[in-house]
Amino acid sequence: MPHTITWYDRLRIERLVWSLDQQLYDLPRVQRIATRREVRANLLEAARDVGTREALRGVGGSRRLAEQFLTAEFGDNPRHTWIGAAYAAALTPLLLNFFLAEAANAFQSGVTATDPHATGVFTWSGVSWLQSAATYTFSDGTATSHGGGWTPLAYLLWVVITVGFGRLWRLRLRRRPAVAPA
Amino acid sequence: MSETHDPQLLKGVLSLLLLHLLAERESYGYEVVQRLQAAGFADVLEGSVYPALTRLQREGRLETRLVPSASGPARKYYRLTTGGHEALAGGLGAWSRHIAAVDAVLSRPLPPSENGD
Repeated sequence: MPHTITWYDRLRIERLVWSLDQQLYDLPRVQRIATRREVRANLLEAARDVGTREALRGVGGSRRLAEQFLTAEFGDNPRHTWIGAAYAAALTPLLLNFFLAEAANAFQSGVTATDPHATGVFTWSGVSWLQSAATYTFSDGTATSHGGGWTPLAYLLWVVITVGFGRLWRLRLRRRPAVAPA
Repeated sequence: MSETHDPQLLKGVLSLLLLHLLAERESYGYEVVQRLQAAGFADVLEGSVYPALTRLQREGRLETRLVPSASGPARKYYRLTTGGHEALAGGLGAWSRHIAAVDAVLSRPLPPSENGD
């Protein structure tokens, strides 16, 4: 007996579809959209046939389904992850800048701890290897600064961390034709 | 026929089953699942079939076309390519050899058990 699809049923199906979509970002965009549409169409069909609860049970959850789609595309071998690379690329500058800013604040605090009314120009060599020299101009204990940017090594570290977290070297090992959109 | 199947065995033959079903006639994803279940594979989950169809498509064994549906979104129908027919023929031959070899071993008589049963 066909089941009626309510708005609540549609919401449950959409929840799974979009949860799946979020886990398929390593697929090419066109293929990800095609997969999303196909899963949605099949789920709606199954929900009419056996009910939404049974239809959702049949696909086994978004995480497992996404893993199977990714395995179908990239095989069982270890694979790269664009999501991991994106997280690393975004978070590394935040953490590195936080660390460098704290180090710079420590230098500045050191100067004012020695002389709360310090006046003059002070140069700090920065965090070794990661940061260029910074110049602090104090006026009655209040400082302005310039310099202290990333060194080429810091940029290289950023790239290495991004490649490492995304395991992007695996891209070189395997190039497969993408699935043509239907 | 609703007995369960060993998932590992099923995984090994799922591609062959899909190719054969789609060689009989083109179908969309959920219809393939229904046909598998009607054939006795009641424990086959959609979550295994849809990615397997995607893999066969990527391998060039299936091609697809979208067909509008009166009851909802357009359905993606799968059908075999020439490569798919070749893969099916090869798979059927390999399967026949496999079950012949397995049967040859399993049909050997077993020695009497030591406890005299």
